[in-house]
Amino acid sequence: MKSEIKVGDNRLQMTRVFDAPRHLVFSFWKEADRLQQWWGCKETSKVECAMDFRVGGSFTCVMQITGAGEFSYKGQYDQIVEPEMIAFHADFGPTTTRVVVEFIDLQSDQGSQTKVVLTQVGFPTQDIFNGVSQGTQEAFDKLDSLLASQVLV
Amino acid sequence: VVSIAGNIERCTALGTGSQYLTNGLTIFLTSEIPCHTLNAVVNKPEKVTAVFAALADPTRRRIVQHLSEQGESRVTALAKPFRISLPAVSRHLRVLENARLIKRRRQGREHLIRSDVAGLEEARKWIAQCAVGWESGFDTLDELLKDAQRSHNEREKAR
Repeated sequence: MKSEIKVGDNRLQMTRVFDAPRHLVFSFWKEADRLQQWWGCKETSKVECAMDFRVGGSFTCVMQITGAGEFSYKGQYDQIVEPEMIAFHADFGPTTTRVVVEFIDLQSDQGSQTKVVLTQVGFPTQDIFNGVSQGTQEAFDKLDSLLASQVLV
Repeated sequence: VVSIAGNIERCTALGTGSQYLTNGLTIFLTSEIPCHTLNAVVNKPEKVTAVFAALADPTRRRIVQHLSEQGESRVTALAKPFRISLPAVSRHLRVLENARLIKRRRQGREHLIRSDVAGLEEARKWIAQCAVGWESGFDTLDELLKDAQRSHNEREKAR
């Protein structure tokens, strides 16, 4: 299943259901050797993370990205409630970004599933977007072509 | 992807999936999307950084807001509501211009300022790229979790 993605109110929210119990999903965020296996985009060939997984603890990740070279960033854990929630901030991108990840236990007849809700906050531009975009379809059309072309350079 | 909350509702078919917007934008990504998230950040971070830095300042945000509401304005008209000196406004305008958030044209001795969507597009694209980046990671995580479950089940059976 793919994610449901919402953008608005200064934030990006990704919701995705994984077919695995919550403690297992959580472990892939908690343990560096597991996080390194999936962190980063498709072009990421190698990830090395040093993580001090506790409130106030820091983490550093160095990624090798095919066609773009090395990329590294630092962050810090603001809140951890195992296995329910992780909040951190990091300096990736053009601004410091805050991320909150919630892990919701879903029990069904098919077994354990976990809903992960990732919220990324820190886009200072929402009100500006609203002002500029109001009454125009331009932004949506751009979005359509962006997604349709599937090229997001 | 993006942004633009508001009360607009809209439905469009997107491949085999769909997208709709209600007080924020909801998109279902249904196809494989190449991830250039970090490539863009690594290769040309200046553009996006310039936009975010420019918009981090409340006066500059208000100038952009003013232009989007009032349309093209004289520099002197921009200075007035903010009660700041002309040189100070000029400095703000230069920052906004570098971030491609405004455009300038001359009419005689006056400088006329209007908003430019190019800068906002950079910021928008960056948000879209974040989404694509996360989704790409989640795809891998999904596979890893399935593998972990499978080997766990096999171990259970072997017992």
